[in-house]
Amino acid sequence: MLSSEDKLKQVFADVFGVDSNSIDENSSVDTIEKWNSFNHMKLVLALEEQYDVRFQMNQTIEMLSYALVKVVLSEHGIVFN
Amino acid sequence: MAADSETLNAALRRLSRDSSYSAYASAANALHELTPEASELQILRVAISRNFTVEGMVPVLEAELARAGFYPQVYLGEFDAISQDLLDLQSGLYSFRPDFIVIAHWLETLAPQFGSRFISMSPAEATAEIDRVLEEIRTRIATVRQHSAVPVLVNNFVLPPYPTLGILDSQSESHQIGGILRLNAGIQTIAREFPDVYVVDLMSLSARLGYEQTFDERYWHFGGSPLSRAAMCALGREYMKFIRALRGRVRKCLVVDCDNTLWGGIIGEDGIGGIKLGSAYPGSCYTTFQREILNLKDRGVILSVCSKNNEEDVREVFRDHPEMLLREEHIAAWEVNWDDKVTNLRKIAARLNIGLDAIVFVDDSRFECDFVRENLPEVEVLNLGEEPSAYLRLLSSSGYFDSLTFSREDSLRTQMYRAEAQRQDLQNSTTSLPEYLASLRMVATLGKADEITIARIAQLTQKTNQFNLTTRRYTESEIRRFASDPAMDVFYMKLRDRVSDLGLVGVAILKYEGQQATIDTFLLSCRALGRGAEGVLLEHCLKSAAKAGADRVLGCYSRTSRNAQVADFYNRCHFATVSRTTEESVWEFGAKTNFFRAPDWIQVEVIPCKEIHAVK
Repeated sequence: MLSSEDKLKQVFADVFGVDSNSIDENSSVDTIEKWNSFNHMKLVLALEEQYDVRFQMNQTIEMLSYALVKVVLSEHGIVFN
Repeated sequence: MAADSETLNAALRRLSRDSSYSAYASAANALHELTPEASELQILRVAISRNFTVEGMVPVLEAELARAGFYPQVYLGEFDAISQDLLDLQSGLYSFRPDFIVIAHWLETLAPQFGSRFISMSPAEATAEIDRVLEEIRTRIATVRQHSAVPVLVNNFVLPPYPTLGILDSQSESHQIGGILRLNAGIQTIAREFPDVYVVDLMSLSARLGYEQTFDERYWHFGGSPLSRAAMCALGREYMKFIRALRGRVRKCLVVDCDNTLWGGIIGEDGIGGIKLGSAYPGSCYTTFQREILNLKDRGVILSVCSKNNEEDVREVFRDHPEMLLREEHIAAWEVNWDDKVTNLRKIAARLNIGLDAIVFVDDSRFECDFVRENLPEVEVLNLGEEPSAYLRLLSSSGYFDSLTFSREDSLRTQMYRAEAQRQDLQNSTTSLPEYLASLRMVATLGKADEITIARIAQLTQKTNQFNLTTRRYTESEIRRFASDPAMDVFYMKLRDRVSDLGLVGVAILKYEGQQATIDTFLLSCRALGRGAEGVLLEHCLKSAAKAGADRVLGCYSRTSRNAQVADFYNRCHFATVSRTTEESVWEFGAKTNFFRAPDWIQVEVIPCKEIHAVK
């Protein structure tokens, strides 16, 4: 399924309370101040709902940046153009 | 992000349409950016003492509190520190001075053996464990009650979906599920011993959701969080029901639409004999729905009707339809007319002397629901959608009217409010209807009848009663003949908006004689009413007439029992009167003397015309 990055950025914006324009390829645990463990769980839950997927635990542990989230989503058939 | 309440209000408006976890997180973040003063909401402090991870539920609770008009401040006790929080008067929980205390406890942490090694316990040991757990809970609650007078919410326990003994469990003298049921009964007994202690029925909540939807083992192992996203959302909303009830924020009044809500079909089109109601499908869906509404009335909910119809048509159904469960005397306030629903909901609130935040509005139309949501965010809106068999569950699962008391007085409330309504004067109010309509981004497509559209055009001339100026019924072959007649034009109008495609909703038929054009037929399907689309179709007629060389356009209104709402249509569109009786009126529009413009909130597309072949 082809999906837009805007939608993905919006999830990040919602969960971390930042502007979606501030999210880019380099956004990660290190650049987003509010990306702590609880908000990481919220991100996982929000992504699962948004894309109707269920991640494996090891996948959720891996996805610590915007780019890595896209990699994991692509493993579930969600492709970004 | 800018710390103004507009960001929060936008997030809350989004939440009324989109209850996704993302939307909750976004609203909670918007709240955190605001000071309580800037939010202009009333502060409400909730302390949560817990032995499992509830962090995922907190944004849901916070956002729901904001929706109910509170600025939430949440104190989360340390993980598995319920006794420390509650037994020590010097604890952070008490110095937080909460308005509500929530005890969120999970059995597997409280009594690990019970959950996972039940088989290793003898019946006597199991009983002793139940007693120990209940004693611990009683001590905690008794101490809270000594130290604080605020309401306490304590949950019961979820049943294991697969008991250790499998099918033998239910046959055993000491069974695991039975043990948890005893615990839950014990919690209920304890709660009743103390004032203002309420049981949050997590067992039933999980049963409603189902096992697969309730648990998420991944975060149980990873972070001590046993509940799934869906269960955390449901739990947050469940806590809210208590807070609303205890803070007097319960909804008091149910405002219902009529057509395709209380009965199947449209009274103005189908007539009292044609609407669906009764014991057979699909009427049975509506009857079941009415029964639930009647239950709500008996619980003390005030009922009102808000419908775009002729009032007499609707009253007749309430009075005379044998299958109606709801009757005139059950309704406290009526707003049955052609005004928009925001205006009518304001009138209902004024007449009953209640706040808009006490109203739940129920309608099958997404258009009406979104319009109310945009303009009256205080009103809770329930969009029933298109599946009448689901109406009952949509209403009963909402919990809008949940309260913690019930008295005989409650069942008499409608009568009281009926009297109140009769005392109140109506007051008109303005709304931003054009703004809302513009936000729909409507597109009207105008074209001439062709092979594909003829059937639908004929059908509309046969079916449309309300917005129909002349109510002339035509067959397909007649429409085909008109369409191929060089002295006539058959126009159709399709309409779509950002939400949905309404399809072909308008028809106009023009006849040309020399320099004069006559509008033979002008109609609009009831699904497109109230949007200003008729103006687009009329403007198209006027322009086409001018192009065909007509400098005078005649319009005619013929009265029927159903089309009172358009009696004044040509007058409103700046036509001049030619002749007028109660039965029929003729109006004229001179290209040089009159001026009419369609509303600017609808974008117009005109389809170039195609050839039509007359049937010989």
